[in-house]
Amino acid sequence: MSKTYYLPQSNEVELFKAAASMNLPILIKGPTGCGKTRFIEAMGEELKRDVYTVVCHDDLSAADLVGRHLIDENGTYWQDGPLTKAVRNGGICYLDEIIEARKDTTVILHSLADYRRVLPIDRTGEMIEAHPDFMLVVSYNPGYQNVLKGMKPSTKQRFISLSFNYPAPDIEKKVIIKESGVNEEVAQKLVSIAGEIRRLDDNEIQEAVSTRLLVYAGKLIVKGFDPYQACMHSIVESLSDEQDVLEVLEKLVSLHFGGSKLAK
Amino acid sequence: MDEKVGKFWDRYLTKKASRLFESKQVFFEEKERSLKIFYHLLGGDKAKELHITDKRFIKTSRTILEKFSGKGRSFFLAWQDEKALYFPGALSYFDDKELNSMHYYWLCAMLCEVDIKTDNIIQENKRVVQGLIKKYEGFREFYEKAEKFLLEHYLELSYIDSSISEDLLDDNSYPNPLWIYPCVSGNSKLFDFNDEEEMGRKDGKEDKTEELKMKKKANQIDDEKETDGLLLFLPESLMSFMEQVNVDRQENDSFDEDALYNAAELDEITLGRKDANLSSRVKMDLDISAKDVEDYPLGKGFYRDEWDYRKENYLKKYVRIVPQVAIHVEPMRLPKRLNKMMQKIQTELDLMELDRVKIDNLPYGDEINFDSWIEYKGHKNKSNHPQRFFQSFEKKTRDMSTFLLADISLSTEAGVTQDIRVIDMIKDSLMVFSESLQRLEDKFGIYAFSSIKNKKVNFHIIKNFKERYSDLVRGRIDVMKPGYYTRLGAAIRESSRVLQKQHSQNRLLLILSDGKPNDTDRYDGRYGIEDTKKAIEEVKQKGIVPYCITIDVEAREYLPYLFGRNSYAVIRDAKRLPKVLTQIYMNLTK
Repeated sequence: MSKTYYLPQSNEVELFKAAASMNLPILIKGPTGCGKTRFIEAMGEELKRDVYTVVCHDDLSAADLVGRHLIDENGTYWQDGPLTKAVRNGGICYLDEIIEARKDTTVILHSLADYRRVLPIDRTGEMIEAHPDFMLVVSYNPGYQNVLKGMKPSTKQRFISLSFNYPAPDIEKKVIIKESGVNEEVAQKLVSIAGEIRRLDDNEIQEAVSTRLLVYAGKLIVKGFDPYQACMHSIVESLSDEQDVLEVLEKLVSLHFGGSKLAK
Repeated sequence: MDEKVGKFWDRYLTKKASRLFESKQVFFEEKERSLKIFYHLLGGDKAKELHITDKRFIKTSRTILEKFSGKGRSFFLAWQDEKALYFPGALSYFDDKELNSMHYYWLCAMLCEVDIKTDNIIQENKRVVQGLIKKYEGFREFYEKAEKFLLEHYLELSYIDSSISEDLLDDNSYPNPLWIYPCVSGNSKLFDFNDEEEMGRKDGKEDKTEELKMKKKANQIDDEKETDGLLLFLPESLMSFMEQVNVDRQENDSFDEDALYNAAELDEITLGRKDANLSSRVKMDLDISAKDVEDYPLGKGFYRDEWDYRKENYLKKYVRIVPQVAIHVEPMRLPKRLNKMMQKIQTELDLMELDRVKIDNLPYGDEINFDSWIEYKGHKNKSNHPQRFFQSFEKKTRDMSTFLLADISLSTEAGVTQDIRVIDMIKDSLMVFSESLQRLEDKFGIYAFSSIKNKKVNFHIIKNFKERYSDLVRGRIDVMKPGYYTRLGAAIRESSRVLQKQHSQNRLLLILSDGKPNDTDRYDGRYGIEDTKKAIEEVKQKGIVPYCITIDVEAREYLPYLFGRNSYAVIRDAKRLPKVLTQIYMNLTK
């Protein structure tokens, strides 16, 4: 398997390794599509640990993490959930968008995330001590303002926090070239479009364009799409549904790549 | 009649003389919001506003027809100053709508780059043009087309052809519509209208629809000395006998379209310098308003603490809160004007209601929950295990109590437009808000407050939590009257006491305000801010989430300090308040 490509933005790789060696859990904050998941995968390879990813949603129950009883021809048996697997065998358990999970679900992480490092399973009466290679990583996107969702401070305060943002232009350019295979000139234009869109604040646009979308645009361009069309479908339409905003974004793309109605 | 004929003739001639393509015209108003976003995209200053510019007088050579019609002497040019960008009200230089529209974006991009303080504006423009066409493929296409077109249709513009040397240019050259021109207010003779606008806007009022939406070049006359002129006593200064305030006389009650038309056509307007400051009007209103309210005080009131930041301690039982309820109120239905808005909001409400939640471990229900059944099967001692194997999906009951606190101090008397006051927008907001929450079946209470020093903080009960939302509540909203001041800290403390009694898991305190906390005693400036901040800290400690919505444009200066970075919203246009308030609520609780 080829190695996952990840270009560090600052000291996050060192921090992650240090935390891993000291068995400290990690919390990653950052906007969507800035490379959180990719970072964890790359670190899993680097540290040679398996990554168990769980994408959280508001119907996620503790059983989905810990495990449940199932039935086969011999009767019922216990099936470990992803968290329990990681705790038993060692590995990185990555809970993506933890903020989406109900607060009572995340409480089961508490005993794992501090010095005790144990996971109690009440259904089987077990108390599992974490494998030395077990590591807990959670992530969330602090961008949304919401009264009902948010992390309990008592959960938050058990983690080493890493704050991610969109990569710097040079790094982002390299990432786009590497991931999509576009030439440098196009990558540069994509990065400048992104830089301009990211200047808007949240009452104009819900969230700025992610590196992931830029890579998508790059991929479409490599596949032979007209750059203007590629950006319209990958960047502009994904960011907003408001007519005014769409018009401006369309203008911006056409300014960088040409190909608007004017040219025809 | 004569006048009408004259006007027709004028319009006819003007049209004839004009070489612009009016059928392809693009208006600023259609583009305003897009341009603003575009300006921010390019890194423009977010505090700047976008306005329409007035024409500028420039001596140029004209065609005979132009001389006849008076055209071609003045031009609408793009420029900017410290406060705003100014665009022509409409553009029609090109015979293609797309090009005219692009022309706006071009000017916007130029405005971002051109340094207005430069000495040689021509050089500067040329530099920026080169920069833009190099950076943006799309602008290069536009500029090439536009330049070619202008050279063909507007002979006077031949100088923009880069091959001609700059020496031919002087101040009276035919202005290039693609360039940015220096700021007029640099000229000492000119009066900057914005100062006046600024004063009017302190309370977050914006006259958008009916005011003359452009920057006027004005000649200023000095009428500050009231003995000047023939009259010894100017009618405007009538009130000065008693109060020494200037009465606002520039606001004409009746909206006269012709007057606006005339004003737009004038090259200059001569104006008196007296402030048409709204705060002066407010002062006069002070003794008149809020007296004849039929508010019935509920008891003598309670004494509450207030925070004194200098002593770093509470002043015990310092403020008197008087809860009141309006009596003799006529019940009313939802005003017709709000029906359309409610329909729009309803579609959004429907989306929220789709949120359904799974309820587990039911003795009966829609589906069998396999997990709990297997759990039961795997359990050794089955007799002890509850036999609740069912699950069903039900509409989420949102465990949520919302307390809406509205500021109805006298400043809400101020006008948003000629006919609409801030308080009217607040009333509409409250009605739409309660209508929406009613449909969502969320628990809520509505209160309003105003204050007269620490002696009396009026705490109006519009709807308490137990009460049903009814026509009577709407009636109470409708009779709300602005009065007195904003002792925000006290009102927040009282609100949190009420809200604390609600046994919901999530409690939200929404504050609707139009300005800084203030009162006539020392509750002003830092004292008021610190007390409010303290009150908000107390609220947070109680596990209540505070959120402030304000129409005060300057609120960004103090709200982050009071509420924290993510707990407030500033709404620039008070007219959007009814819609936005509900949307904010939905976003906060989605």
